[in-house]
Amino acid sequence: MTQSLIQAYQQAPWRNQLKWIATFLLGVIVVALVAGLYLSISAQAMSMGFEIQEKNQDKVVIAQDIADLRNQLGDLTADPAMLERAKALGYDYVNPSDLEYILVPGYSGRQTASLAPQTATEEFSEPTINPEYTSSLSEILFQGLLKFSVMQARRIP
Amino acid sequence: MKSEPFVRFRFIAVSLSLIAALLVAQLVRIQVSANTRAMREDTRKTIEDGKRVLYPERGNIYDRWGHLLAGNKEMYQLGIDLRYVVSPVTIASTLASVAGMNYNDVYAKASTEYDANSAVYIDLRTTITPEQAQKLQTLQISLEKKAGKVQKDQEYPSLLGLVWTPILQRSYPEGSLASNLVGAYTFLDRDGNRDLGQGIYGVEAYYNDILAGQPVIVNYSLDPNKAQTLPNVPPGAGLILTIDIQIQAMVEKVLDESVAKTKSDSGTIVVLDPKTGEILAMTSTPRMDPNKYWDYQKTFHDGTETDRAVSQMYEPGSVFKVLTMATGMDTGTVTPDTVYLDRGTIEVGGITITNWDFLAHGPQTMEGCMQLSLNVCLAWVATQIGEKNFYAYLDKFGIGRMTNVDLSGEVDWPVLLPGQPGWTPFSLGANAYGQGVNVTPIQLASAISAVANHGEMMAPHILKAIVANGKQEARPLRSLGNPISAKTATDLTNMLAQSVESESYQNAHIDGYRIAGKTGTASISVGKLGYITNLTNASFVGWGPVEDPQFLVYVWLEKPKTNMWGSLVASPVFAEVVRQLVVLMNIPPDDVREKLKGQ
Repeated sequence: MTQSLIQAYQQAPWRNQLKWIATFLLGVIVVALVAGLYLSISAQAMSMGFEIQEKNQDKVVIAQDIADLRNQLGDLTADPAMLERAKALGYDYVNPSDLEYILVPGYSGRQTASLAPQTATEEFSEPTINPEYTSSLSEILFQGLLKFSVMQARRIP
Repeated sequence: MKSEPFVRFRFIAVSLSLIAALLVAQLVRIQVSANTRAMREDTRKTIEDGKRVLYPERGNIYDRWGHLLAGNKEMYQLGIDLRYVVSPVTIASTLASVAGMNYNDVYAKASTEYDANSAVYIDLRTTITPEQAQKLQTLQISLEKKAGKVQKDQEYPSLLGLVWTPILQRSYPEGSLASNLVGAYTFLDRDGNRDLGQGIYGVEAYYNDILAGQPVIVNYSLDPNKAQTLPNVPPGAGLILTIDIQIQAMVEKVLDESVAKTKSDSGTIVVLDPKTGEILAMTSTPRMDPNKYWDYQKTFHDGTETDRAVSQMYEPGSVFKVLTMATGMDTGTVTPDTVYLDRGTIEVGGITITNWDFLAHGPQTMEGCMQLSLNVCLAWVATQIGEKNFYAYLDKFGIGRMTNVDLSGEVDWPVLLPGQPGWTPFSLGANAYGQGVNVTPIQLASAISAVANHGEMMAPHILKAIVANGKQEARPLRSLGNPISAKTATDLTNMLAQSVESESYQNAHIDGYRIAGKTGTASISVGKLGYITNLTNASFVGWGPVEDPQFLVYVWLEKPKTNMWGSLVASPVFAEVVRQLVVLMNIPPDDVREKLKGQ
């Protein structure tokens, strides 16, 4: 009887096998998902790392390029180069007696180099602090009473 | 009895399991093998966790208008990584043809045996241009392609092992122009052993620390998983100098021509703005090209020659009389109209002093004494002033002390004072006309600038502003005091302007401009041998326009051979400089200025 009952409620062997296989596959899928996620994040982090390294390198290269371009400009405007170019264009030294000076209203002459904003003495205005933060409690009470008494006095005809 | 398919399944399962086990075993073996450990260690050393020093770009140097005097250009530093060298012959012959290097030197270095502890990398201490680097790269690629497959350890034409690293190299676009002032930076010592790179001479040396900036040390790894953004390294401070490159170029041209024409040993010219103490131009001969600073020994024989204006002492002679007369007038000892009877000699401290021409000039006002540059008269003025006052005024003028001009290599020589060993009563008489007292050109120019600036002496300086952290900060002007009153300064300036207008100063005349000035011809002392009679230091100091002095020019020619007199060799140099200076500084002639003032 008991045997019959067990047999009646027992899973078929193929069902058990299927259950184990499903469980195993689920495990494999979970592991694969976690591994995939890990790989993806790790790859992204590494890719960002490479990008940061590239940007760092770009920064260095750009800074060098800027310095080099500034220097090239210096080479092009160097006194001997300018003199040669001016001569090639047909310019010559001025004869002082040929000079004519004119007064240009408002012109204060050539200004010296300004390569960055000038630093100025920063002027700070006196900080405005409400008296509530500087007076003692007794002073506030006294001032309040004084104000109240003045108002009362004004009401008196 | 088991069926046939099950046997096959088992066989396949066992086989696959064995293969899997073998794979795992192989993986473990690879991971723990000695070679792998060595490779891992090598990789770790290469890419991981190192401290890296980030050096800031060296600050630029500009003239007053923002014209670049010292910058940085992209270059490639050559080196040899001995681990990878295949063909020392190819490296040596290529560098000889592409970079002009010595074949034998390079070959010897490239043939050095690799030693992990002592010989890994050799810095060739040579830089090449980006174009040359491009040529090397093309050649390297083509050689490797041609080589194809070769046996291990077989030598074949290859540039492997040759390394070129991009660096910013100090560059001076103007070459030797203003090099006395700007100095140089030893850029070849920058990489490899960067601590040794430093500014030498001039501004580069004086402001080395602020030009260099602050290096930043970071923990750095090539492992991308540990990548981090590198911090910003602010470049070294940029310096804006007071000099005007056009004036500087003009002054150098005039000086070079004059030194050659007068066959002088050397020459120096200082151009100052007496109102501010700004150095508008300053030069001396010889000059070097700071782009090839390693050749400095071919140009300079000792340190005083790098910038004679601040580094070389000399007895100035009669230009010093300006200070003696200023003292005499300021103390009330004499006035411009005081008359002195010049008998051609005077005895001071038991020694007879004569005039430069050994003549007596009879009664002379102080103006006449200055115009004729009478030693006897000025020695008399000094004796009337008295030792105490005379030396007190020299001290006020800064004689015997450094000016503290912001250039490297400034020297000074203390003035011998009464009571000190070596001083005799005669010293007072000799000092009055600029003998027995040593100054540098900048010292004397600075002292005399007080006369040109209504009695106030401004500190001479070369730095106009500093550019750092995106801001430009102007250098404040500094007064060194008022050694004489404004009245004395004006009276003396007018007196010296009268002198320049006289016939004896015709070489210093500037048409259309009223200029004050004084010549100087100093004998040269040679140790115990005394003074050489035929060789002199010829000088001229002048400032103008007299009504509103905007420049002071000091000229010194050392041992001119064509003529020994300052009035004949130094005055024309002064005049030539001023003639061009007024144009470059936009200073109209006196009459035009007056007319424009009225508008």
